[in-house]
Amino acid sequence: MASLNDYLLVSGLLFAIGLAGVVMRRNIIIMFMCLELMLSAANLSLVAFSRFNVTPTGLPDYNGQMMVFFVITVAAAEVAVGLAIIVALYRARQTIHTDELTSLKG
Amino acid sequence: MPAYYLEALTVVLGIVLLMAEAFSSGKNKSWLGIAAAIGLTGILALTFFAIGPVEKPDSAWAKWPLWNFYNFDSLARFYKIFALVTTILVLLLAVDYRKILARFTETPDSEAGTGEFYCLPIFACAGMMWIASAKDLAGAFVALELITVTFYILVAFMRRNVGSLEAGVKYLIIGALSTGFLVYGIAWVYGTLGTMDLGTMSTLLQQNSTPVQLTPLLFGVALVLVGLGFKIGAVPMQVWIPDVYQGAPTPTTAFLSVGSKAAGFILTIRFLEPFLNSELTRGPVIIILTILAGATLLFGNLAAIAQTNFKRLLAYSSIAHAGFLLLALAAWKTETSTSIGSAQVVSVYLATYLLMTLGVFFILAQVRIQRDGESIAHFNGLGKTNPLLALSLTIFLAALAGVPLTAGFWGKFFVFSLAVEQQLWVPIIIACVSAAAGFYYYFKVIRAMWWSTSEEDKPVVLPTISKITVGVLTILVLVIGFWPEPILALLR
Repeated sequence: MASLNDYLLVSGLLFAIGLAGVVMRRNIIIMFMCLELMLSAANLSLVAFSRFNVTPTGLPDYNGQMMVFFVITVAAAEVAVGLAIIVALYRARQTIHTDELTSLKG
Repeated sequence: MPAYYLEALTVVLGIVLLMAEAFSSGKNKSWLGIAAAIGLTGILALTFFAIGPVEKPDSAWAKWPLWNFYNFDSLARFYKIFALVTTILVLLLAVDYRKILARFTETPDSEAGTGEFYCLPIFACAGMMWIASAKDLAGAFVALELITVTFYILVAFMRRNVGSLEAGVKYLIIGALSTGFLVYGIAWVYGTLGTMDLGTMSTLLQQNSTPVQLTPLLFGVALVLVGLGFKIGAVPMQVWIPDVYQGAPTPTTAFLSVGSKAAGFILTIRFLEPFLNSELTRGPVIIILTILAGATLLFGNLAAIAQTNFKRLLAYSSIAHAGFLLLALAAWKTETSTSIGSAQVVSVYLATYLLMTLGVFFILAQVRIQRDGESIAHFNGLGKTNPLLALSLTIFLAALAGVPLTAGFWGKFFVFSLAVEQQLWVPIIIACVSAAAGFYYYFKVIRAMWWSTSEEDKPVVLPTISKITVGVLTILVLVIGFWPEPILALLR
């Protein structure tokens, strides 16, 4: 069976890939995908920590898994609002590249 | 009345108004803002009757499991009042700003598209009120995201204005990024301590019976601080602030700079309290906080000096104030019977900051509407055309700079005395330089108002609501400058 470290390594890699994507890519949709990847990485860590944190009753500690459900729900709400904003921006500017968002300067 | 009724009532008020807006046919939507402000004033009155399980331990509701996720103490009450007052003032500001709002929505000729702008702040307010009471990381996270997601819509509300949309996208990306850091950080803190409950964390860290692995724990705390730094506007997550403040509708900017920042700070206080009170983690956490405070102070104040756009200037000033607040946390001290602690200092600072910042935004909104611009040059000659208005703005700006005998002085005074007590000399020097820079850029606006001339000779006419609010806020800034006792009394 995979150990806690394996899960944490995978989730850390996922988080790093997501973060690198957000920092380096210029397409807002792809940046948004990478943000979801970061949240999934966090969820994986939460589930792994929850599974390996066994309470005296022999069951895993369910606090972490409960948190995962909240994170999934919040992420869904965030995507719903976020995509609407991106669509509105595309209608106004015909672009979704961050390099071309330059009307605010100072 | 159990305290959680307050949040429930706030959410109900929001839903009722949203429904009323959907089914009303009128073109004028300003009644929604007034109704929301009146409703929230009612809830504000109820906060003084709210009690927790400590006051009434034998009632049925005191045994509810809800109290595992929710606590009610003087700090929670203070931040609930804070959230309500901010939201009420922002709604009034939005009522007077509706001409611009309507111009940039789908129907530029009528106010038909502006109804939601008065309902959404109520939901954000409910989130801010819940966060003040959060004692569990899951609950705090959901409340924080309720605020953030509402703000995504509020920032990008002017859908025909490219600036507002760009600000919305920038806020969205950085906001979601900070959510990622926050959740990942929470995962590590949870993984190390095995609990989501802040009270249990506190006992675990203090009793020292179970060995705690320090490195992963501090890694988690640092990640959570990065996530929270987004809300409070601390370096390194401050990059969004200038652009978003400039692009967002002015009422949203005011709400962001006061309400959202206060919500971030109360959560930071609640989250860091267990770590700062434990011998094990205090040292490293204080080092992180000191570095954050110094960097935030330097960045906010030095970048503000060169600004010519007043709204952008206020954005940098809000970063600078976050630096002072972080310094108060870095000089951590718990409350004793004779002296106030760091949490109380932060609260006093935020309360004075609310009064002066919202006052400035009320005036800025009207100058934006009537002189059609937000740069400092648009304030030229305001002293000639509107001497009283210019005097109010002078008082607010002097208070933001921290001139004695205004409300802003007390916040800075308490922060400096805490920092001196804890002997944080390097950050104190940075804070002194920052305060001096603050005098320069706030007085730049004052100079423009009184000494610069402009062709504009039409006076700015304040609508009735703005006039009354600005008057009341000016008087409060002066009164609290002489006598800060009312704010301190609220914290007891």
